[in-house]
Amino acid sequence: MAAVTLSEVRKAYGNVAVIHGIDLAVNSGEFLVLVGPSGCGKSTLLRMIAGLEEITDGTIAIGDRIVNDLPASQRNLSMVFQSYALYPHMSVRKNLAFGLVNLRMPRDEIDRRVAEAARILRIEELLERKPRQLSGGQKQRVAIGRAIVREPQLFLFDEPLSNLDAELRVQMRVELASLYNRLGTTMIYVTHDQVEAMTMATRIVVLNKGRIEQVGTPYELYNAPANLFVATFIGSPKMNVLAGTAAGGRAEIAGLGMLDLPGGISADGQISIGVRPEQVVIGAGDLTVSGTITLVEYLGSEVFLYVRLNSGDTLLVQAPGQSQYKIHDSITLGINSKEAHYFNGMGLRLG
Amino acid sequence: MTEATITPAMLSTAEVARAYREAKAKRAKRAALLKHVFLIVTSLIMIYPLLWMLASSLKPDNQIFGDLGLWPREFQWQNYWAGWNALPVSFTTFFWNSTVVTVLSVIGNVISCSFAAYAFARLEFSGKTIWFALMMMTLMIPYHVVLIPQYLLFLNLGWVDTYLPLIVPRFLAGDAFFIFLMIQFFRQLPRELDEAAMIDGCSPFKIYWAIIMPLSLPAMATAAIFSFIWTWEDFLGPLVYLNDMEDYTVPLALRSFISSDGVSQYGPMFAMSILSILPIILFFVIFQRLIIRGIAMSGLK
Amino acid sequence: MLRFFRRNFAGYAFLSPWLIGFFLLAIGPILASLYLSFTKYNVVRPPQWIGLDNYFYMFQMDQRFWKALQVTFSFVVISVPLKLIFALGVAMALDKGIRAIGWYRALFYLPSILGGSIAVAILWRQLFNYDGVINSILRLFGGDGPYWLSDPKYSLWTLIVLAIWQFGSPMLIFLAGLRAIPQELYEAAEIDAAGPVRKFFAITVPLLAPVIFFNLVLQMIEAFKSFSGAFIISGGTGAPLDSLLFFTVYLYNEAFSFLRMGYASALAWVLLLIIALFTAIAFWTSKYWVHYENERG
Ligand SMILES: Nc1ncnc2c1ncn2[C@@H]1O[C@H](COP(=O)(O)OP(=O)(O)O)[C@@H](O)[C@H]1O
Ligand SMILES: [Mg+2]
Repeated sequence: MAAVTLSEVRKAYGNVAVIHGIDLAVNSGEFLVLVGPSGCGKSTLLRMIAGLEEITDGTIAIGDRIVNDLPASQRNLSMVFQSYALYPHMSVRKNLAFGLVNLRMPRDEIDRRVAEAARILRIEELLERKPRQLSGGQKQRVAIGRAIVREPQLFLFDEPLSNLDAELRVQMRVELASLYNRLGTTMIYVTHDQVEAMTMATRIVVLNKGRIEQVGTPYELYNAPANLFVATFIGSPKMNVLAGTAAGGRAEIAGLGMLDLPGGISADGQISIGVRPEQVVIGAGDLTVSGTITLVEYLGSEVFLYVRLNSGDTLLVQAPGQSQYKIHDSITLGINSKEAHYFNGMGLRLG
Repeated sequence: MTEATITPAMLSTAEVARAYREAKAKRAKRAALLKHVFLIVTSLIMIYPLLWMLASSLKPDNQIFGDLGLWPREFQWQNYWAGWNALPVSFTTFFWNSTVVTVLSVIGNVISCSFAAYAFARLEFSGKTIWFALMMMTLMIPYHVVLIPQYLLFLNLGWVDTYLPLIVPRFLAGDAFFIFLMIQFFRQLPRELDEAAMIDGCSPFKIYWAIIMPLSLPAMATAAIFSFIWTWEDFLGPLVYLNDMEDYTVPLALRSFISSDGVSQYGPMFAMSILSILPIILFFVIFQRLIIRGIAMSGLK
Repeated sequence: MLRFFRRNFAGYAFLSPWLIGFFLLAIGPILASLYLSFTKYNVVRPPQWIGLDNYFYMFQMDQRFWKALQVTFSFVVISVPLKLIFALGVAMALDKGIRAIGWYRALFYLPSILGGSIAVAILWRQLFNYDGVINSILRLFGGDGPYWLSDPKYSLWTLIVLAIWQFGSPMLIFLAGLRAIPQELYEAAEIDAAGPVRKFFAITVPLLAPVIFFNLVLQMIEAFKSFSGAFIISGGTGAPLDSLLFFTVYLYNEAFSFLRMGYASALAWVLLLIIALFTAIAFWTSKYWVHYENERG
């Protein structure tokens, strides 16, 4: 049974539609990440699931109960906000216990749960402090603690890490992942950061302008993006995209030459050919092109080369960390037709 | 080491720059001094009348007029005692009456205005924008325009010569200024707090009570202080609704001093005037930070 | 239906005290006053419909109505600009982290808080007495002060001075406005060799325009509404020779001294319309001289 089922869910603010009919089934126990550029409607979708935002149309079910008209507190879920939203006037202990007290839970059960959460999140010494006496990472822990004491059947996270600095973000990412492994509860996690999505998700939903572009495991999204948007959104640095014209099993790439399309891909007319930086070979390939290096980014384990081709396109290439390329060097690159991704004129994946 | 040397020419440029800087600092200092002189003189002029009233409250009647001095030659403390009992009813009653009216008004104002402000700032309901606009419009309505029908209403209810016409409207969020002040404050609180509380199982009332109120104590205090001051000073309301001297509030009683046929009791009159504004001054001294922030925040009055 | 009810219930529940007050004590009375303004009503006998007679009488016969208008307008037109100029001047002197600013601010604001009190009105009466403090000071400088309170030529000035004395709250608002002007603008102007006057008119005034506008509207409404000072200083009647007959004082006397409730209601409506008109004019002209920063074009 699905943990959460959305069907034909829509949202409009006044006349402005921001969510255009979302269908989605969240499996029980999975870590589902909603990812997409800023303003695409991720938070809105999450908040509709939480019950903080009214649904304009469609239905949302949690478990087998339709929750369209159920208040947030009765949906048996917890939410962690980007700003943490800790109650500033309550101690950490009160923050954690607040929801449980509202449920009229017995005192000793509340104490037990608070202690347990504090132990898991290692915030035991902070229990008597006020939120303003905590660092960003500690606040984040308390916010997560407040979510887990309720032992809900569903966790919602809205960009919980984006207020943290880079180092802490990586650390919290690991902790969240291990928390997920420990609890095994269904989680829906919103982020605009595709690295977060790739590293934590069991499944990713890519959202764009209020529509789902693709749903799949990180592996599927990376290796078989359903369209150009997903292809360029997932993966860092970005996939290279070249324009071409296909006819008779071959594609002519403007200004560069002909590439044989791999078996199973048949197309005519405008297509786009996508090649990830690590899939561009240095040296000859099915299609061999030459160009000049315009920028070298040295990252230690690898080097990224920005190569300006004779056609005017720029290709981003990943080379081994030991390679000694310099700016203005000439270089020969190859693209292998089996490793490229092909998209039709509408931007949809071919094959 | 570089080869650079400091030439005499460079030295003199540095000199000039330093002299310029010093001259500028000097000018700034002189300007600041002038400013202080201006401000000190102005503030002395501002408070002189109050100090003069204080001094006069301690002078014998024949030394009050024409005497600009702020230090009584002899302290006539009995002005206070005389003033307290100068009218047929003692000021004990007037102060008690004022206290009752003011305390109840303050409570009513804070509760009812914070309710309305919470609705406007935090809750969604249809017609909100229209109600909000109407609420803002009432800021403009002079009390005089509603005075007569209100008077007739209260007359029919048999409330004239009671404190009800002065207190009940306060429980109906009669002063939009306070609503506006609180809305401004509530809007500064992050909305995610309400949402977190909703998920934590709070009803709208519980959110108001357990989250918004505790976090808005400064705004509530500001509203309470202003409401205290204005109710305490209110003259027109008591003038219209209270006819029996037993019921008078302090400002009405003070007016009886000047209308009680020319008997010259200036010392006692000033003594009571001083006592009548003493609570306000005390409040102001204690809470001036809140008051001044409140003005800047709401931008009103 | 259920959904509609639930969506609105909490909001209206919290709003209900205000709503009751709004209908019973604001809108209701305003409409009642409109009705009463077409009647003759002395509380004892039921209101008697007389159509527009109150208004005809007011505009065509009632000398005191015109006098009250003239007094009130003079008061507004003189006291409001003076008060604002004073408030702005002091606010500018206080701006930019002067030492002891908290003290000054408090001292300047204190009169605003006391200004409406009867105690201060009583004090004012004595200050402006013929042998009161003001004239004593004038005498120190060799002048001879007039009979401020009994000479109709001068009496209004006592109230104008009282109004200016309460410049504290517009000052605080100006101060907040001045704080919001980015310091870099002045520095840039300084680099462009602008003097203090030029800086004032080229930077301060335009950037402060919304605040000036706000203060202007507010103080104007306040001035139209002011009552207790004039009431006390004129002994409740608008004396001498109606020179302190503020509109509000006239209205009060018509209603509660002479029990002409119908006529007083007509006066109330005229006051409401005047204030609405002035506010509207202020808003309407504001688009020519007030530019808000977040506005484009
Ligand atoms: N209360 C609101 N009123 C009107 N538009 C809104 C509101 N909240 C969000 N939007 C709009 O809806 C879109 C989606 O917002 P959101 O879900 O917050 O995006 P994000 O994916 O960055 O979380 C945005 O274009 C935003 O401007
Ligand atoms: Mg968001």
